[in-house]
Amino acid sequence: MNEVNVTFEDNEVKVILSGRIDSNNAHEVESEILRLIEGKENLPMVLDASNLEYISSAGLRVILRLRKSNADIRITGVNSEVYEILDMTGFTEMMTVEKAYRIVSVEGCEEIGRGANGTIYRIDKDNVVKVYNNADALADIQHEREVAKLALILGIPTAISYDVVRVGESYGSVFELLNASSFSKILSTEPEKFDWCVKEYVEMLKKIHSTVVPEGKLPDIKETVISWGEFMKDYLPKESFEKLMKLINEVPHDDHMIHGDYHTKNLELQNDEVLLIDMDTLAVGHPIFELASMFNSFIGYSEADHEIIKRFQGFDFETGTKFWKESLALYLGTNNENKIREVEDKARIIGYTRMIRRSIRRKGLETEAGRAEIELWKSELIELLERTDTLLFLKNEFETEAVNEKLPEVLSFIEQHLDNIGCSEKIKMQISVAVEEIFVNIANYAYAPEIGKASVRVEVSEEPLIVTITFIDGGKPFDPTKKADPNVSLPASERDIGGLGIFMTKKMMDDLSYEYRDGKNILSIKKCI
Amino acid sequence: MSYPQKIDLHMHSNISDGTDSPTEIISNVKAAGIELFSLTDHDAVKGCTQITKELEGDIKFITGAEFSCKDEHGQYHILGYNYDAAAKAINETVDEGHRLRMEKLEKRLDFLNSAFGFAFSEEDKSGLFSLDNPGKPHIGNLMVKYGYAESKEDAIENYINKFHAGSKYVKPDTAIEAIIRSGGIPVLAHPSYGKGDELILGNNMDNRLRRLMDFGLRGVEAFYSGFSPKIIKEMLSFAKRYDLLITAGSDYHGKNKMVKLGDTNLPAAEDYPEGLKRFIITVTNEN
Repeated sequence: MNEVNVTFEDNEVKVILSGRIDSNNAHEVESEILRLIEGKENLPMVLDASNLEYISSAGLRVILRLRKSNADIRITGVNSEVYEILDMTGFTEMMTVEKAYRIVSVEGCEEIGRGANGTIYRIDKDNVVKVYNNADALADIQHEREVAKLALILGIPTAISYDVVRVGESYGSVFELLNASSFSKILSTEPEKFDWCVKEYVEMLKKIHSTVVPEGKLPDIKETVISWGEFMKDYLPKESFEKLMKLINEVPHDDHMIHGDYHTKNLELQNDEVLLIDMDTLAVGHPIFELASMFNSFIGYSEADHEIIKRFQGFDFETGTKFWKESLALYLGTNNENKIREVEDKARIIGYTRMIRRSIRRKGLETEAGRAEIELWKSELIELLERTDTLLFLKNEFETEAVNEKLPEVLSFIEQHLDNIGCSEKIKMQISVAVEEIFVNIANYAYAPEIGKASVRVEVSEEPLIVTITFIDGGKPFDPTKKADPNVSLPASERDIGGLGIFMTKKMMDDLSYEYRDGKNILSIKKCI
Repeated sequence: MSYPQKIDLHMHSNISDGTDSPTEIISNVKAAGIELFSLTDHDAVKGCTQITKELEGDIKFITGAEFSCKDEHGQYHILGYNYDAAAKAINETVDEGHRLRMEKLEKRLDFLNSAFGFAFSEEDKSGLFSLDNPGKPHIGNLMVKYGYAESKEDAIENYINKFHAGSKYVKPDTAIEAIIRSGGIPVLAHPSYGKGDELILGNNMDNRLRRLMDFGLRGVEAFYSGFSPKIIKEMLSFAKRYDLLITAGSDYHGKNKMVKLGDTNLPAAEDYPEGLKRFIITVTNEN
């Protein structure tokens, strides 16, 4: 009969179904299949539905019976109509069902991003497709889909692919991205939005780095970095190589998320919402490894040839450098140039290591220009390694559960920063009292009777030296600046309990400001040192 | 109480469109280790009368029948269980079903004659009319015998199915009422698979159930050989929501369908849902 054909290959039975399977022919289709596979019933079976137009409930019963007699059965090349039926009836949960892939051409489409694993094209106003370099990319696509879902669940705004398509010999995954512009495009075409881009870029970066990932869900970037370091064994003086490995190994395990390829093409503005895309490099680890890849994106890769960044990001090397410096300053919460450079140097160590390895693996040593570049990076790297003792840096944001037991950790976090800028004991004490008042207040009232999170951020600006400490919580709106000052002339027994702490804070600090934004209480204290 | 582990409440004998005789059904049920069963021929009760007479031993049997029904909202297969096979109401409905079937057969034969000039001898025709439940395959076989078609499938697809005159069906409320008046339990057969190619899920199923419950429907065949776990789950949740009885059936047709006797997707007896336990208790006590 026309609807069924059977072939045997690689110890597998392939049943090719075509046309319609419904109550008129289901019985015959089933007898025909059973006749054709006779004697091979126990082999794995593939139902090739590439030419199957429709299946009715009578057809479903045929498939169910095949499934009951053979657990190793899958359906491939399923069109969207048939897929919908299989999905609705739960057949997709009982066996592997592979959809037919739409064929999409990217010829003449705008390239909006390029990563290690693929290139992103806009295929129409509302959709983009990420075409994977690897021809056998289905596993990669699956991986990216899973990590994007994980990120979304953990609160990172991102786009999740809704379809897998064929693009030439490769696979692509399609995302909806409505009227979106990448930050690279905004920086190239609307330079007046530079400051806004820096602010949003850093805000997203902090959001990523403050996201705790459940154990085992994402790879540890440190393991990758160790492999980059080990590659350098034959290319660095022994002493430098050992120092490099020591620095990498001493970075502690960190279960916070990092993006892994965080540059401005991977941040999209869509209807006032900032979305992170290109999630296949998502990992966990210390933020220094993220900063290293950011340094390379904005400076490292283009240091020898400034045209590279122009080709890749659309803006020039100076804009890239400025964007990197200002983002790093905002991320670290300081405008102290030395402090910023110190962290940048740590990032460069890993950045150069990665670039040297990359260049050598791409036969960089075989060309004059390649050798010159590698030599340049190598000498920088050796010099950096001589004067660096740790890759760690002081993070300026600390997120914790808002409970009284966490107060000592908050205070020690603040103290580290105050020690770092050489603050007097008296001022340190005043700030500690204020921090305690505010944190305890959040712990006791913001979420009561539930428990929520609070984060504390320290920012330092120089000349004049001012420390700003910001407390953010998602609890009930409460504006302490609005609270009337207590009458301190009253005898203690008549005073209002609680108002005193805020009063003391106001007295000891130089400024206290409050705002309620995006469902969050944001309270800042400032102190001139 | 302990519940039977192997149950099959939906099967057909050669009184309708199955291939086993009622006597063969009994021996096949025994061989399959089924402890509780029912015979559910289309529009027929006489197989049940026969089985009640012939059955010996521990196996529990209850009377059954399946009515093909249709109204302006769709088509339904309504199962009737544990009725009194001598009751007037059920026999009238069976006779009405049989009469409609014969009427349809006559129209089909007229159509084949006027549209294609296919004629059959009076002897063969009366042979068809003497069958309990003559349908498309029987006509098809005859056409092959006369050389009008190459195969039964060819006959059905290219000739018999060209006949589209609106067939008459028993109305669901008529069937449900007759089952109830004969002391039986009306149950909706394979609910998600209406008739032929229909697929009814979600809201459509909800509307369908509520309409039939207004007529007196008391149960659903939530466990069915052709249901995926997801469909079974949906049917169980409907049964729970509307406090319906639950049955389990294979829809065995002998050699006419590849369904195995006893294939109902039932879980182990300790996991039977409440509605199924109530059904078993009801049919066990009433007898």
